[in-house]
Amino acid sequence: MSSINRLNIAEGVYFNSVRDSRFKTMKLSANLFVPLSAETASANALLAGVLSRSCKAYPDFTALSRKLSALYGAELSVSTTKVGENQVISVSASGLDDRYALDGDSIAAELSALLCGVIFEPNVKDDAFVSEEVEQERRQLLDVIDSEYNEKRIYANGRMIEIMCADEVFGVKRYGTAEKIKETTAQSLYLTWQNLLKTAVIEIMYIGDSAPDKAVEVFTETFSKMNRQPAKLHTEVIREAGKIKRETEAVDVSQAKLVMGFRAGVAVPEKEITATALMCAILGGTATSKLFCNVREKQSLCYYCAARYDKHKGVVVIDSGVETENVEKLERGILKEVEDMKNGVISDFEIDSTKMAMINVYQSSNDTVSGIEAWYSSQLLQDGFKTIEEACAKINAVTKEEIVAAANKLQLDTVYVLTNQQEVKS
Amino acid sequence: MNMTEIKSARAGDSYYKIMHSSGLTVYVYPKEGYQSAYAIIGTKYGSINNCFSVDGGEKITVPDGIAHYLEHKLFESAEGDAFTRYAETGASANAYTSFEKTCYLFSCTDRFDESLVILLDFVRDPYFTPQTVQKEQGIIGQEIKMYDDAPDWRVMFNMLENMYHTHPVRIDIAGTVESIAEITAEKLYDCYNAFYNLHNMALCVSGNITVQQVMAICDKMLKPCEKHEITSYFEDEPYEIVNPYVEQNFPVLMPTFNLGFKEKPDALDEKKLAQTDILLSMLASPTSKLYRELMDNNLINNSFSYELFEGPGYCAVIFGGESRAPGQAAEMIKQYIAKVKTEGLDREDFDIARKSVYGDIVSSLNSVSSISNTIMSYHFSDNELFAYIDAVADTTFEEVSERLSEMLDVCNCTLSVVKSPDTEV
Repeated sequence: MSSINRLNIAEGVYFNSVRDSRFKTMKLSANLFVPLSAETASANALLAGVLSRSCKAYPDFTALSRKLSALYGAELSVSTTKVGENQVISVSASGLDDRYALDGDSIAAELSALLCGVIFEPNVKDDAFVSEEVEQERRQLLDVIDSEYNEKRIYANGRMIEIMCADEVFGVKRYGTAEKIKETTAQSLYLTWQNLLKTAVIEIMYIGDSAPDKAVEVFTETFSKMNRQPAKLHTEVIREAGKIKRETEAVDVSQAKLVMGFRAGVAVPEKEITATALMCAILGGTATSKLFCNVREKQSLCYYCAARYDKHKGVVVIDSGVETENVEKLERGILKEVEDMKNGVISDFEIDSTKMAMINVYQSSNDTVSGIEAWYSSQLLQDGFKTIEEACAKINAVTKEEIVAAANKLQLDTVYVLTNQQEVKS
Repeated sequence: MNMTEIKSARAGDSYYKIMHSSGLTVYVYPKEGYQSAYAIIGTKYGSINNCFSVDGGEKITVPDGIAHYLEHKLFESAEGDAFTRYAETGASANAYTSFEKTCYLFSCTDRFDESLVILLDFVRDPYFTPQTVQKEQGIIGQEIKMYDDAPDWRVMFNMLENMYHTHPVRIDIAGTVESIAEITAEKLYDCYNAFYNLHNMALCVSGNITVQQVMAICDKMLKPCEKHEITSYFEDEPYEIVNPYVEQNFPVLMPTFNLGFKEKPDALDEKKLAQTDILLSMLASPTSKLYRELMDNNLINNSFSYELFEGPGYCAVIFGGESRAPGQAAEMIKQYIAKVKTEGLDREDFDIARKSVYGDIVSSLNSVSSISNTIMSYHFSDNELFAYIDAVADTTFEEVSERLSEMLDVCNCTLSVVKSPDTEV
């Protein structure tokens, strides 16, 4: 795959670039990592939204959107995510490569300038953001929080993590809480912005055909004027589950949801994460996984039943949708497959085919801009970058003993059930 | 070999269309420097084809949801299921059924030839028994129930039910728990034999592949197929909608809405599609005056979107998203459209929208999955991808204004709302 060039351009600021001429688009993103905290999560998330709405050069939402559309439908987007117990604010600009512009426009240079503009020269006045802009974003962020309840699979997964990690930083949601969002002011947001630029570990990522020299220069110069004090990033990994926590909630739904949270006992930066990832995929990551073949296909209990590994927090989550009357049967069915993994009831076919499936996913990521970005971004908190070839070699080297050992570290921590109200009443 | 090369100077790409001797239309779009490949085979058969005849024979009516059910069951053969076979090549496989087509696909970075053999083999090898058909009831039943709890899905089908009187686009693609109970192995064979004829299908492959490679496998796997005349029957559909408003109570905190404008169901060529896409971008994208007005009045959030929804015998423009006041949002959209229809469009809006739509379609050529899926959709509507790109670049302001005059009748639209029981609209 195309190699990555990493420059340390300021204290805790890195510029990563991948040159690739195969794509018709380029993408530049700034990823700001800060420790997740109930105190600051909401303000950071609100700030991200406000930054993406306007800047000094394009001081309102419509002006900025029109500029982007005129740049051949370029996109400026922000996202707020959780990586382990860190909050990541990503601001990115992507658009058509200059070669495909209709009138010889230079899209890449303009987009780089625009991205710097929204991060460093936002629309502020008298040490405060413009209040109308803040109110718009506040309303929308509160909508986002409410809308998570609309999608019951997302809601149920979120509730399970809240319960499982109630006493951990990880229990804080990526947007924080509605209360904190309401407390934030246009003035306090200004301080949030300054603090974020000062304390975040910043990873800039560029993927495109042309050299990113101009963008490197602008970022380097801007950060050279700042007094930077990057925060220490850390995630607490809990390895022992203790007594199983159970919670059932009744809502007027037609399908019940079962979400089970396990402590995986392995997390970044330990080298065993590869075996744990493979173990999780054999259990419930493919259409030939144990959960798919047995719980779905043989028992016809559900449409989806999947296992996911969060390598940063060291947690495995299994979730499924099922008839309320079958919830217990489903839980038993899932636990039986987990037991089989622990007891080494795993065929060579299961191991080999899952390795191939994972390698296929890794290799495919090299063929899209977002795939390359995700490949390197997901390793930002690890020690150095692995190429796809190196990751494939690591997967291929995992033995059955290592898979079984990974399975034996799984400890069931929390079982959350969202169930049908009517059937509970009757 | 009956092969045509289709080139785009603007996009700097080219691909090939081959009429294979078996009757199958094959598209091959090589992407230089790519490691992955994506293959998709589709039949022009979806949830709307629930009443049909073959070669002028007897009219057959089948249970709702049978096309989707068939998609699930086609993965099985007497020897096992296709997922297990793909597991041996490392390909990632999937399938989907929409209103007007059913498609089977895989993507891979290694052993492409073997995976294409699997795809062409299982799609040509139906195996339905009472036991295998019965087994799927539970799985699809849970898929249906999952969608019953999805507000975005419900809000759209409630709208379609209140927009269309008779057209089967008003029926859920997966059917209902009751309708799928009527599905038998025999009925699955009836549908399979009618629609899974190679003359009614297309294969599209893009990525790290060559024409020779794909054709060698097609030659080996596909025997010439006798052509049959398939007629799908749709009852007459009036121009008018059924009801202007429908709501459903749901356990949600954010109400959500779809406002659909029923359009004349004319098949749209590349030019009309380009004009419509630019028009809708001008009217409702984040750059538009309408979007700004809706936002400033707190009537939408950034979940707001719009789409041209069209297929055989149906066409609608749908605006939708979350809103705390869906009724007011819909009213503002209708008023804005009525105003623009009287006062005319803005030239600067047009310039911006044309570039934006152009950038979107050219960008999509990065992705092997976008390429294959778009070519497949265009194949079944008799359109061509590069002709569409040229049409976008060449569209004029006058053409878009003309297009506006023939669509978006504000007296012929349906508002669908999903909300919690205690919310007033």
